[in-house]
Amino acid sequence: MEIQVAIIILLTAVIIAELALFLIATIVQLFKINAGLSVVLPLVGQIVAKTNPVNPVVDDINAQLVVTRDALENLMLKKAGPDSAGLVESLFPGEGAKFLRRVNRSGKVINVGTVYTRGVGILAGLGRGAPIGVAHTKGAAVRDAKYSTTEVAKLYPAPPDRRDPSKNIPKSPTIGRDPVHSPYEAASTPGTRTRDAEGRKIETPPAPTGKTESSPPPAEEQQSSAPTQADPPSSPARLSAKGTRPWER
Amino acid sequence: MADAALWIMVIVLALVIVVLAQLLKRILVAATSIPPKIDAIAGVAAAASKDLDAVAVLLTTQGYIKSIRASVLDYGGSLDAALPDY
Repeated sequence: MEIQVAIIILLTAVIIAELALFLIATIVQLFKINAGLSVVLPLVGQIVAKTNPVNPVVDDINAQLVVTRDALENLMLKKAGPDSAGLVESLFPGEGAKFLRRVNRSGKVINVGTVYTRGVGILAGLGRGAPIGVAHTKGAAVRDAKYSTTEVAKLYPAPPDRRDPSKNIPKSPTIGRDPVHSPYEAASTPGTRTRDAEGRKIETPPAPTGKTESSPPPAEEQQSSAPTQADPPSSPARLSAKGTRPWER
Repeated sequence: MADAALWIMVIVLALVIVVLAQLLKRILVAATSIPPKIDAIAGVAAAASKDLDAVAVLLTTQGYIKSIRASVLDYGGSLDAALPDY
């Protein structure tokens, strides 16, 4: 046998041995992979089974929350009107514009909580006529400790129903000796009686002319028509309805 | 002439041995790197499956959300009656 044939046979044997060695090692690794996957696949199946009901539950929770949110937003719109977005913005910064978009409205969102302190905001909301949003964020404080009354008067210039001059409530009547704005009409028979104390008819006074005499009667008439005043007691003593008490004399 | 052909065949077989060894070695390395990764995935999957046991609590949360919604709507109705409209 020639030497070339012997080398060829040897090289062929080496190739076969090499193939067998590497393929057997690869097969061993494939068995390990198969065993590992048989462990992993049931765990993945458990994950799928456990996450399967999550979607409907989460969808239901989201639906409940959206219904609640819509109800509260509608209530806020009903109660706070155009200030709703500012209130939402004051509680949740950045949500005022989203709130406006959700309720299909537009406009500038003014953070009520920034412009006003909480108490002023509540009072302004209750006052209805308050100029919410007129003050600048970086401006002077709305509440002034020194001139707080003036500031409040500026905050509430007039209620809406008082802005119409025809709806103005008249001023209170001035009560006194000679009221300028007397709330009472003049009597048709001023200071006269048709019957005396015993029920007898008194002479009919002249018919009223419709003109009220505001001037006081003359001094003589006043003196004569004035009831007779009792003389004061000679000695200082207490008086009763029946006169000076006898035991005090 | 026959001798030359035999020597060429010897050279070709020697080259085949080298190339085949390189290719089979790469396959073996790739196959060897897979089992540790599968073991890691198995550990993570076991932990994830255990964590997902808490998903059942979502049903309790769902019930709470329903009751909270009812309470909030009742509260809103009371506010609607108590506060004047704008």
